[in-house]
Amino acid sequence: MAVAWIGNRETLVEHACEQAAMLLQSSRCPVISFDTDIHGTRAAIALAERVGAAYDHVEGAGLSRETALFTDKGAMIVAPGEVRRRADVVAIVGELPAVHHSFVAELADTVPDLSATNAREFFLIGDEGTKVSTFLGSRKATPLSSDGGLSGTLAALRAQRAGRRVSKQVSNFDDFARALGTAKFPVFLFSGHGADGLALEMLQGLIADINRKSRASALHLPASESGWGSVLASTWMTGFAPRTGFARGFPEYDPWRFDVERALASGEADLHLWISAGSAPPAEDNGVKLIALAKTAEPVAGAEITIAIGEVGVDHEAVVYSGRTGTLAAIKAQGASELPSAAAVIRLVADKIPAEAALPC
Amino acid sequence: MLTKIAGGEIIDPVNGRFGKGDLWIRDEQIVEPPAGGDADRTIDASGCFVMAGAIDIHSHIGGGNVNTARLLLPEQHAAHMARPAATPLSNAGWSTFETGCLYAKMGFTTVVEPAMSPGAALHTHLELADIPIIDKATLAILGNDDFLLSMIRDSSSQQMIEDYVAWTVGSTRALGVKVINAGAAAAFKENVRTFALDDVVPTYGVSSRKIVKTLQAAVDRLGIPHPLHVHCNNLGAPGAADTAAATISASEGVPLHLAHLQFYSYGTEGKRKFSSAAARLAELINTTPQVTIDIGQVMFGQTVTISSDVMRQFSARGSASPKKTVIHDGDGNGGGIVPYRYRQDFYGTMQWAIGLELFLLIDDPWRVFFTTDHPNGAPFTAYPALFELLMSRDARDEMSAGGSNGAMALSTLSSIAREYTLEEIAVMTRAAPAKLLGLDDRGHLGPGALADISIYRKGKDIAKMFGAAAFVFKNGDLVVKDGEISHYRWGRALRLNPPPDKAMVRRLREYHERRYGLSLDWFTFPDSAVAREQPFGEVACRS
Repeated sequence: MAVAWIGNRETLVEHACEQAAMLLQSSRCPVISFDTDIHGTRAAIALAERVGAAYDHVEGAGLSRETALFTDKGAMIVAPGEVRRRADVVAIVGELPAVHHSFVAELADTVPDLSATNAREFFLIGDEGTKVSTFLGSRKATPLSSDGGLSGTLAALRAQRAGRRVSKQVSNFDDFARALGTAKFPVFLFSGHGADGLALEMLQGLIADINRKSRASALHLPASESGWGSVLASTWMTGFAPRTGFARGFPEYDPWRFDVERALASGEADLHLWISAGSAPPAEDNGVKLIALAKTAEPVAGAEITIAIGEVGVDHEAVVYSGRTGTLAAIKAQGASELPSAAAVIRLVADKIPAEAALPC
Repeated sequence: MLTKIAGGEIIDPVNGRFGKGDLWIRDEQIVEPPAGGDADRTIDASGCFVMAGAIDIHSHIGGGNVNTARLLLPEQHAAHMARPAATPLSNAGWSTFETGCLYAKMGFTTVVEPAMSPGAALHTHLELADIPIIDKATLAILGNDDFLLSMIRDSSSQQMIEDYVAWTVGSTRALGVKVINAGAAAAFKENVRTFALDDVVPTYGVSSRKIVKTLQAAVDRLGIPHPLHVHCNNLGAPGAADTAAATISASEGVPLHLAHLQFYSYGTEGKRKFSSAAARLAELINTTPQVTIDIGQVMFGQTVTISSDVMRQFSARGSASPKKTVIHDGDGNGGGIVPYRYRQDFYGTMQWAIGLELFLLIDDPWRVFFTTDHPNGAPFTAYPALFELLMSRDARDEMSAGGSNGAMALSTLSSIAREYTLEEIAVMTRAAPAKLLGLDDRGHLGPGALADISIYRKGKDIAKMFGAAAFVFKNGDLVVKDGEISHYRWGRALRLNPPPDKAMVRRLREYHERRYGLSLDWFTFPDSAVAREQPFGEVACRS
């Protein structure tokens, strides 16, 4: 099976990597998008340093909202295992990514064994457009909504709980207030996928209010699990989350400037390195050159260079972030194949680029 | 390769070697002078003193909480100067790569991350593996986890508890065990806001004292070289000296290590109800030979406090500067990140003076360890300045003059004449840490030792001398020359590897599946997951 192409012509991986290195070296403003495991991320960041590129996750929008919560405000958060064992009230905050629905279903099917109540009650904050029936099974979530979408509902909840007046009462507020009044460890499930920055900040304000006299916390269910893994690796490697760039030779974090999608749309970037075994790259216009590392049996349309890579946890073992455990986990290959990992291909490309320092990973 | 370090002033307390002489290295080890052998390489160490590589026993350099602190504070490292890219990612501000380089430049060759959440061991080791040059190690946190608390509550046998501790240490690749405010994180989840040594964790009915004593006994009986590493209750509270004293008394003849004692050496005297209890605790340490401590020295300036003492960090949220924090209720301890600026006001000066009082009033440099509890008291980059304060009364007086007069009036610091000698520094930062951690292959310069060697050019400016080593060898590789990284390499994480008890593994499998709905495999990992060649180095338990 062919695994590398220059244009539509099959070639050796080695040769494709050489060409990719040449394109990266000659680029005025290279940008990298990835959706890969920890080691793929580490390799991509090392390559970004070497060629002065900016990098972002392919699902950078939701992740950047979650990152901003930490960089701008901080948060109270809880481990998923503690939620399963302790949460007697679970409030779902807006729409959650589908990958986390099975855990919510698991919460619906279990009771908190470390809670004296041994029961769990569900609420849904900002129910507009959110269909929890698909993953809560027979359990019902009491909807809480007000004006102003999710952030407006959270603001109204916070205000009503503090005894302040609101323009529109939150639906079923009394039920929520009663539940909080007896709950030992209520937990709010949130994601940057379905909540904007204001909503995330308002949620944390509500949790801080509750914690003045009792306990509560929030479970972070990332907009993308691989993306949050990349946030962690990027942060320990550079000090910063993705949307970091090396254009000036050292890492700079700028969530607007290094939003790769924006840089591509505006014409700032002239070369796009796409790294994802799970999704196809967007069609490039503005004359941007594309290098695609993708799980594919044929060249990616419009790509100058295509190199086939394996899928994390399918073709090769990997280290990934798990929303179910709230930390990094090693996963085995479910169907090991000859396809190289993203990390291996990226290292091959980076090795073709002359540098003073050895690759750090 | 045979290397001769020629003409340096050797300071090697373990082997009683002091004075001018040569040191020989063959490949990774220090060797006897070869008979008539010619060196492949000669390092001129004249005008320098030569010590073993320094060992830091307590520095938060990697893992979930450290990384969360980085995420919380991009502004703290965005301001770093752009520097030439001599080493990969060397110009990244507060990163794993920078951590290894900065430690090496100061002559440190082994550093212990003292707080690894067992469930996040892989994350911790991935970060440690990206810290270049130096060797690392980590301590696994126990004492707030449901499995242990339940076993204590249910009066499980000591053997079962030891099996659990051994499995945790082995599966997480730890070098020892730490307990952090024993029971408090579990109690905090049930809305308890303060927790003392004899307080009881709700639901479990187990006291903090009982947890500490149980783990202390398990660590001792398993032959784990490093005694139980204890972060006491009531950290930072006025009157915490009573808690520390009670914990020291509770050691009852069995080895125990108390972390960052400075943060407990607070009395309640004076109009602010905040005073130094350093002299009292120092005297207690001097008369309790089974107890070792590290200081957690405060230095003035901006830092961030990172602790798995989630209850304490929650209570400190109001003091955050800048005003943002992360509080994490974890499966066991969790943690809290609270940025903080130590000012030269009454409280900051008092904390600064208390740390120095402890350093100077505890007589035995084999039992007091050099730490700032990085970054809690100060970043480790403050070490050179701290060496100067220990070795120069004039330097202490000068810095005292810039602090709070009110605090200094209540401190004994200005009356203490003691100045650390280089031999005492070598004991405190090399020989004693190696002994405490069970690392027989380092901390000294005798034949057979690992060639971890720091060479400092003598000078009147002590901070400058310790801030940029003339030469540093790691495993015989010359990694620093004239204060700059000259060779990039990857160290290992030092670990114990006690064999797992099969019955305990079965029990843990059943527990994780029943309580968490997850296979135990989610919490373990193969060495290959770290993706470095030989990422671990094994250290033996005491027989």
